[in-house]
Amino acid sequence: MDMKISEIKMSTEEVGKWGMVIDQDLCTGCQACVAACAMENNLSFVGEEDAGYGRSMHWIRIERFWEGEYPEVKMTPNQPMMCQQCGSAPCEPVCPAFATVHSNAESLNLQVYNRCVGTRYCANNCPYQVRSFNWRDYERPEPLPNQLNPDVTVRRRGVMEKCTFCIQRIHKAQDKAKSEGREVMDGEFTTACAQACPASAITFGRTDQPESLVSHLMHQGHGVKHLEDLGTLPNVTYFKGG
Amino acid sequence: MIKKLFDWLKQPLGLIAVGIVFLAVFSAAAYGIYLTQQSPEQPVPEFPHQTHVAFGIQCLYCHPGASKGPAAGLPSQSKCWACHNQIQKTVDSTKLAPLKEAVINGEPLEWVPVAIVPDFVQFNHRAHVAAGRNCEECHGDMSQVAIAENPQVMNMGWCLNCHIEAAGDDQEKLIKLSDCGTCHY
Repeated sequence: MDMKISEIKMSTEEVGKWGMVIDQDLCTGCQACVAACAMENNLSFVGEEDAGYGRSMHWIRIERFWEGEYPEVKMTPNQPMMCQQCGSAPCEPVCPAFATVHSNAESLNLQVYNRCVGTRYCANNCPYQVRSFNWRDYERPEPLPNQLNPDVTVRRRGVMEKCTFCIQRIHKAQDKAKSEGREVMDGEFTTACAQACPASAITFGRTDQPESLVSHLMHQGHGVKHLEDLGTLPNVTYFKGG
Repeated sequence: MIKKLFDWLKQPLGLIAVGIVFLAVFSAAAYGIYLTQQSPEQPVPEFPHQTHVAFGIQCLYCHPGASKGPAAGLPSQSKCWACHNQIQKTVDSTKLAPLKEAVINGEPLEWVPVAIVPDFVQFNHRAHVAAGRNCEECHGDMSQVAIAENPQVMNMGWCLNCHIEAAGDDQEKLIKLSDCGTCHY
């Protein structure tokens, strides 16, 4: 590969396929998305002790920040944070096992569980801190195994995991559309977090189709992409104070 | 102590002992591998696929999920009973007793799947049937076997060979069919 570093870095023109718009003014911080995500994606419950070590497993979390000094503290709006499905992801080149690879078909960052050997380089290099690691095989007492989603792998100990933009739903919708001989329609399906959000703060869809709802929202003007100056080309747009 | 043991092993009797131990370990390993290649026991003993195929029953009659969704499905006892309650052999044959019991007691027949993929592989039958693949291309000729057998090891290389062949010169299809996220998520 004779590619110069500057050439790799300057790939700012890439258009993602799937994207998300999050309106922080609508988000009430109710955590419904966090629960829905955990149910949809077979997330483990780490328990009190491991949570104390900072080993909580969430693919989406609601961040809160405080502005100002003590008596005059002001809370910033709730900020749902999940994998931003970067177009130029910092997690990808550091994986020695090629377990976190870029999907050219869906323009997503994949985590291939059967390849992952658990070096945790990717999580350390993720500027959004959205990857979680399976430190143990967490127990699922009966009858909890009955609610596992059969479309999603149950991860084992020593494997890194993260938000997939509900790729199982993407595939299901694509499969259904193909069996009916049509294209996937905008709004036909959505991610678990967007579906559960009572305030409709999360919108999911195709960013490469200009007529989709998510594209309309994205180009409203005051959207912010987090840590964009790192050149990560995130696919999640945030709105606040709009 | 260890030197003494090596000296003993070097004399003819010792060499024979080493040979016997080696043979025992080797045959145990070979038997273990042989066992993994055997068809599992089914709730209806020696379930004859070849007889059912010989009667002209289509694969999709008993495994209708293959053309509709991810899993082909294994038939419930009521599906078996639709034909079997009209057949004298159901009454006569002792091998069919589990089917009769299942129907009378309303308990499911617990078929043991033979063609399985690991949990981290998301396989969809519908897409493969829609792409024009026939059942026997992966599952072998069922008119020749009783309990289903896997004609080949179902590993990723085998999947990918077929995927790359199916894509041909179509670059877009090749990207989709060789993408990790198509099967692993």
